[in-house]
Amino acid sequence: MTQADLAVDASSKAQPVHPLIASVRDIARNQLAGQVQAIDRGLYPADVLRKLAAAGAMSAHLNAPHGHGDYALAIQAMAEVAKVCGATGFMMWCQAVCGLYMQEASASKLAGQPLSDHVAGKRLGGTALSNPMKTYAQIESFLLQAKPVDGGYRVNGALPWVSNLKRDHYCGAIATLEGSPGREMMFLLRCDAPGMTLRQCPSFSGMEGTGTYALHLSDYFVPQHEVIADPAKPLIKRIRAAFVMLQCGIAAGVIQGAIDSMWAVEPQLGHVNQYLEDRPDTLQAELDELLARVMKLAATPCNDSDEFFIEVLDARAHGAELSLRAAQSALLHQGARGYLMDSEVQRRVRESHFVAIVTPAIKHLRSEIARLSQEEMPA
Amino acid sequence: MNVTVPWREFICRACGHIYNEKKGDPDSGIAPGTRFEDIPNDWLCPLCGVTKADFVPYDRAASEKARQSACASAPVLARSRVLGRARDHDVVIIGGGTAAWRTAEAIRQVSEYLSIAIVAACDAHRYDKPMLSVAFARGLTPAGMIKESGAAAAARLCVDLFPRTSATSITAARSELRTTRGSFHYRHLVLAHGARSILPPGLTPGHCWRINHLDHYARFCAALEGGRKHVLMVGAGLIGAELANDLALGNHRVTLIDVADRPLARLVKDGAVTEALFAAWKSLPIEFIGGITISTSEKIAVGYRVTLSNGTVLHPDMIVVAAGLQTPDRLSRSAGLEWNNGIVVNPVSLRTCLPGIYAIGDCASIAGKVSRFIEPIARQALTIASQIHGDKLLPYADLPLPVRVKTTSYPITVR
Repeated sequence: MTQADLAVDASSKAQPVHPLIASVRDIARNQLAGQVQAIDRGLYPADVLRKLAAAGAMSAHLNAPHGHGDYALAIQAMAEVAKVCGATGFMMWCQAVCGLYMQEASASKLAGQPLSDHVAGKRLGGTALSNPMKTYAQIESFLLQAKPVDGGYRVNGALPWVSNLKRDHYCGAIATLEGSPGREMMFLLRCDAPGMTLRQCPSFSGMEGTGTYALHLSDYFVPQHEVIADPAKPLIKRIRAAFVMLQCGIAAGVIQGAIDSMWAVEPQLGHVNQYLEDRPDTLQAELDELLARVMKLAATPCNDSDEFFIEVLDARAHGAELSLRAAQSALLHQGARGYLMDSEVQRRVRESHFVAIVTPAIKHLRSEIARLSQEEMPA
Repeated sequence: MNVTVPWREFICRACGHIYNEKKGDPDSGIAPGTRFEDIPNDWLCPLCGVTKADFVPYDRAASEKARQSACASAPVLARSRVLGRARDHDVVIIGGGTAAWRTAEAIRQVSEYLSIAIVAACDAHRYDKPMLSVAFARGLTPAGMIKESGAAAAARLCVDLFPRTSATSITAARSELRTTRGSFHYRHLVLAHGARSILPPGLTPGHCWRINHLDHYARFCAALEGGRKHVLMVGAGLIGAELANDLALGNHRVTLIDVADRPLARLVKDGAVTEALFAAWKSLPIEFIGGITISTSEKIAVGYRVTLSNGTVLHPDMIVVAAGLQTPDRLSRSAGLEWNNGIVVNPVSLRTCLPGIYAIGDCASIAGKVSRFIEPIARQALTIASQIHGDKLLPYADLPLPVRVKTTSYPITVR
C-alpha cells in the first residue's frame, strides 16, 4: 500500500454518478448522518425514509412508471445509505420488497394508487416473510392461519420481529389456508386494521430504530382486494431471487463503511496497522469483485431457476461473511477510538452481526444451497 | 403444585425459546413451578413476543436425536485436527467418488506431507459405481456395496474430508472455493465432481429415479420393496440396458424405451448382436419400445400415467431415467473455466485454462469429448499428481477402450 493509495476514496471512483445515487448520497450525508447514533438506540427515521423514497431510492427496481426495473441501481442506492447507517439501509430493503409485493399483487388495486403512495414515500411498509421463507426452506413451520370467509379471509396467529412498521404502516405476510393443505395465501397486512396488534420486542444489541415489532392477529380480516397472491408459492418462486439479491445492498454498504473507516486512520496508524490481516485494499478488491458478481445477477432478477437462486444465495452469504470480516477488521484498525460507544466502527460491528443473522442468515443460506443442490428424486 | 408429574418443557415455534415449568418465567410474573396449562393465555414469549398458542411440547431427547441424525456427516479432520485451521490446503479436491479418491491416493503415493481436503456432496463412501446396474440380481445391498467408508478412507490417506458439503463457487484470483461449510483456500484445485443425469422433456424430476449414485440407488431399492413392480426405463443405452436386464432378472416387469429403434444403438452396430440380446431377453419380463419419446407424464393415485409419442399410454409404478449424463457447469462458470460439453482440459496434462486447476473423470472434456468410464481415472490421477508434486509430468494418453456391456443375460464387449 502506498501513500498515493490513501487518497483513493472508494465512493468517488472515476465513473459518472447516477443522479439517483447523487440524491441518495446527499440525503445520507446531510440528513441521515446526524441521526445515526439515535437510530441505533431507537429513533425511527421516518423523515429520512420518506425523503429517500421520494427520491426514488426504494423503487428503482420496480417496473415503469415507478422505476426502471433496475435492480443494480436499487442495490447501489441501498449500499450508499447502509454505508452511513446499516439500520436505515435495512429499512430501505423492507420498503423495496414490500413495493415489489404490491407491484406483483394479483389484486390489481394494490398496484395502483397504494403502490404510487408507497413509491412516493407517503406510506411505508415492511415484509413479514421471514417465517414463510424459512418454512419454504424447510427450517420452520407457518405461524399464520387463514380461513376463507365471505369476501376474503380471517387470519389468526402471531409473528415475531417484523421491521419498518408503525401504527399506520403495512407489510406483506403469508398464511396457510385452512382446508387446503400445502397452499398458502399472501396478503397486505395493515397495522392499523381491527384484529391487529403491534407488540414491542425486547431490546436488541443495536439497530433499535428499525420499527421492529411482534404482530398479533386475532380474526384479522383480509378483503379480496388486499390479497397479493393465492396460491402464494408461484409468486414466491418468481420473486425469491430478487428478495435475497436486494439484501446485498445492505451488506455492500456495511462493508464499504468499514473499509472507509480503515482508510481514515491509515495516515496515523498505518505503521502498526500494516501487521493486521484483512487490510482495506484487499477487502476493497474482494468487495469490488463481489459487487461485480451481484451486478451481473441483478441483470436477470426474474430468473426463477434453482441454479440461479443458488448463485444469488451464495453472493448474499459472501456479503454477510465479508461484512463480519470487514467490520471486525475496522475495529482492529481503529483501536480504542473505534471502541468508543459513539463510534461508527463499533456500531458497524453490530450491524455486520445483523447482516449475518437476519433472514436468510448465513446458516440458512448454506442450508438452502445444500438442499437445492441435491437432485430431486421421488419421495 | 403437582410434583408427581415430571416438569415439562415447551418450545416457541417462532424463536426457539424454551419454557421450563420448573423455572417458570418470573420476569413475566410466572412463578417457578407453573404448569404450562396454568399460564394465562395472554402470556407472551419473553424473547420474541408471540403468544402462548405458538408454544409446542419440547422433546429434548427427540430433538437431540434429530440433531445427531442431521449432523451425522461431520467433517473428518484426519490432518488438520482443528476445524478453524482446516481451510487452507495444498490440494482441494471437489467430489466424493472414484475420481476424487484416486486423486488423493495418487498424491499420497508421491507425497505424505501435502495437505489434502476432499469436499464431497455425498458421504464419499468408496464403492464400485459400475456395480449399481448389476447389483440387484446379485443380491448386493447398497450398504454391502461400500468397500470403505469415507471416514475410513480419509483416515487412511490422511485427508480432511468434508462430506455432505456443496461447492458453490470458485474465485480463481484468490484461489478460493466457497462451499456450504465455509470457504477453502487451495494451491491446487482438482474438479472431480462428476456428472448428473439428463432428464428428457415430458418428465418431472420428482417422479423419476436416476441411478447415478449409491445414495439414490439405496432409496430406489427401498422403493422397489413390497412386491413386483412395473418399471418404465427411459433410455436403452449402456446403463439403461444393464439396469433393465438387472431388474428383469429380479422379476420386475420392465418397459424399456428409447428414441433409437433398438437398444444400445450408439454402442452396438452389429444387428446380429442386438438380435442375440433380444433372444436372451425373451425369457425375461422386458418389453422394448423403440423410436419413441415421452409426450407427457403425471402422477396418479397409484404410480404414473405416461403417454408416449406414438399415443401409447403406460401405467408404470416407477420411472427410471438413464438417458445420459451432463456435467454441471455452475462451478466452472464461476471460475471462468473454458467449457466444451465439460471442463476443457489439456489432453496431456489435464490442466484447465487456469493455473493450478485440474479436472478429472466425468467432468473433464478432452477435445469436446467426455469419458463416462472408470478405466481412465486412475491414469488421469497419476498425471495430475505428477504435476502437483514432482518434477516430471507423467503424460496422460486418451486411449480407445473396450466397453463391456454388463447385460448379464447376454454380456457384450464392444471394441
